Amino acid sequence: MPVLEAKGLTKQYTKVLAANDVSFSIEKGEIFALIGPNGAGKTTTIRMISTLIKPTAGDAIVNGFSILQNPEKVRENITYLPDEAGAYKSMTGKAYLNFMAGIFANDPQMAKEYVQKAEKICGLGERLDEKISGYSRGMIRKLLLARAVMTSPALAILDEPTSGLDVINALEIRKMIKELAAGGMSFLLSSHNMLEIEFVSDKVGIITGGKLMVTGRPNELKERYNAANLEEVFERVVKEHEIH
Amino acid sequence: MKFINLLKKELKDLLSAQTIMGMVITLVIFYGLGTIMGDVMEKAMSSSEITVCDEDNTTFTNSVLQAIENQGNKVIKVSPSDQSDPAKLMKNINSDSLVIIPEGFTKTVLEDKKQAELKFINVMRNSSLSGTISSEKNSAVIDIIKEAVSSTLLLNYGLSDNDITTVKEPVLVKDITVIKDRSAEISYSAVSSLTMMQNMFLPIVIFILVMFSSQMIISAISTEKIDKTLETLLSAPVSRISVLLAKMLAAAIVAMLNAGVYMIGFSKYMNGMTGGAIEKISSSAEVSKMLSSLGLQFAPADYVLLGLQMFMTLLISLGVALILGAMVNDAKSAQTLIMPIMLCAMLPYLLSMFTSINSLPLGIKILIYLIPFTHTFTATDNLMFDNMTIFWGGFAYQVILFIIIMFFAVRLFTSDKIFTASLNFMQKSRAKRQINSDR
Repeated sequence: MPVLEAKGLTKQYTKVLAANDVSFSIEKGEIFALIGPNGAGKTTTIRMISTLIKPTAGDAIVNGFSILQNPEKVRENITYLPDEAGAYKSMTGKAYLNFMAGIFANDPQMAKEYVQKAEKICGLGERLDEKISGYSRGMIRKLLLARAVMTSPALAILDEPTSGLDVINALEIRKMIKELAAGGMSFLLSSHNMLEIEFVSDKVGIITGGKLMVTGRPNELKERYNAANLEEVFERVVKEHEIH
Repeated sequence: MKFINLLKKELKDLLSAQTIMGMVITLVIFYGLGTIMGDVMEKAMSSSEITVCDEDNTTFTNSVLQAIENQGNKVIKVSPSDQSDPAKLMKNINSDSLVIIPEGFTKTVLEDKKQAELKFINVMRNSSLSGTISSEKNSAVIDIIKEAVSSTLLLNYGLSDNDITTVKEPVLVKDITVIKDRSAEISYSAVSSLTMMQNMFLPIVIFILVMFSSQMIISAISTEKIDKTLETLLSAPVSRISVLLAKMLAAAIVAMLNAGVYMIGFSKYMNGMTGGAIEKISSSAEVSKMLSSLGLQFAPADYVLLGLQMFMTLLISLGVALILGAMVNDAKSAQTLIMPIMLCAMLPYLLSMFTSINSLPLGIKILIYLIPFTHTFTATDNLMFDNMTIFWGGFAYQVILFIIIMFFAVRLFTSDKIFTASLNFMQKSRAKRQINSDR
């Protein structure tokens, strides 16, 4: 059974069709990346799966639970890291982890274990005792990523996980995601940086104008479209759909 | 457990070091001002010192000055040599006021039986409240002198003390003030001055509180939205209603805490300012008893009703602020969103300072009463004067309005609108671009 099965997800705003019949699935331990330019419909799709907004049509099943029928159960099985998200600046890194662990855990012992895990993953050491207002962008991203994976969710949803980060920080975060996926956690990522995503994802879905054009493993897609990288794949996919 | 965790976080967020510091500073400022004002008022209200230059210096003028002293006033006699420049003269004698009894004063009064002239020089040093009180005190000096001159004159005509009293005050007024079905032997002006002093600070407290708590929640919720911590929170296994309730409850607790601080601080300030004045207005120690018998002094139950009213107003302003704050997409808009709440609070606030809202023409009264905050501004008046129908009617209106506001707040929080609704005044195109790039 796949961890996520999106079935015809559609979101119609008053004037804009933000997501149009988006379907794909993610298996256990798989890293799936939705790639496309800004405004392609990545965030809308991700927000529907995260139960933040309701689809106009379609459904998604997360670990056996429907986002329409059982949004509460879905939220117990996912974590979501929004694009360019911040954290509560007046808190210390540790207080933030404690607070978020308290939201996810059902008892104090479980919360404690979550925090211990996050402390290990984020690698911020003693800086966790400092206020978040003094953190760099990279440090905040590492803290938030650790928060997103500390509960070992069935599916971690990360919107533009490395956007705005320098090369070293981006590399560290990609490495972190790969290690966690190897441990059995599934990831749904989104990015407009197609070259970067090629290195981290097992499977990609190319989305533009709200429509998911094609899905597959990066190497398969490059082969199929006779392209050197995912950017070229994207270019050819768009052209192909324009012709049809 | 999750709700407590949320509530603790919200409280910590709102009760930052700056907020607590703000409360302490408020308290210190009010206490300091209260003490200073108390000293100033005491000085201003202290018994009269009358500086007199008696150029006539006759038995009659001496007995007038003696009569002034007999009434408990202190007479300081001066004999300045040069009187041509009043400014220089006042500087030389180092006093703020001077009464000059010119030569020939006794002759004009006793022999010519005409009105005699007195010179009264006053130095104005400032335009503050204590300055105004000094000026009132100075006019009283003239009344004392007139009184002393006429009494001395009547004695000279051979009238007895009793005759003089009867001539001067042939009528004794027994004041009775009636409020609704209660009455007490106290003058109308004394009651009105006392109740005014008792109640004048309440509208200020309400206004500050509404503004403070609204701004607090607008900034808290808009920061959560802009930083996208709200998205993180709403995707967690916790119900949206509990996120909303934790925010409301924390803001209400902090607002009540602030209300307490303002109440304590402001009452200290007002005590300092009016403490001395109240004693002067009424020589009777029975005043508070009189007010009680008129139903003008609050019983504990009245304070509970007042507190309930204020809490309702706070809940409404918090609910509106929550909705407005949730529709913000950038920090700049968050600052301007307080405007509608401010205008709604300012109108009854200003009106209640200058007039009684209950005495306005019916049409305007209804319009003003449609503003939910008005009911708190008029609550003290309504409780004092037993206008319980208006009080409870207003309370019911507030409860209904609060339910409607919360209905919209819950709908906003449980729908997509929390992420898509936008209230960016004059920045619509920018907001649209933001939504498009988010897609």
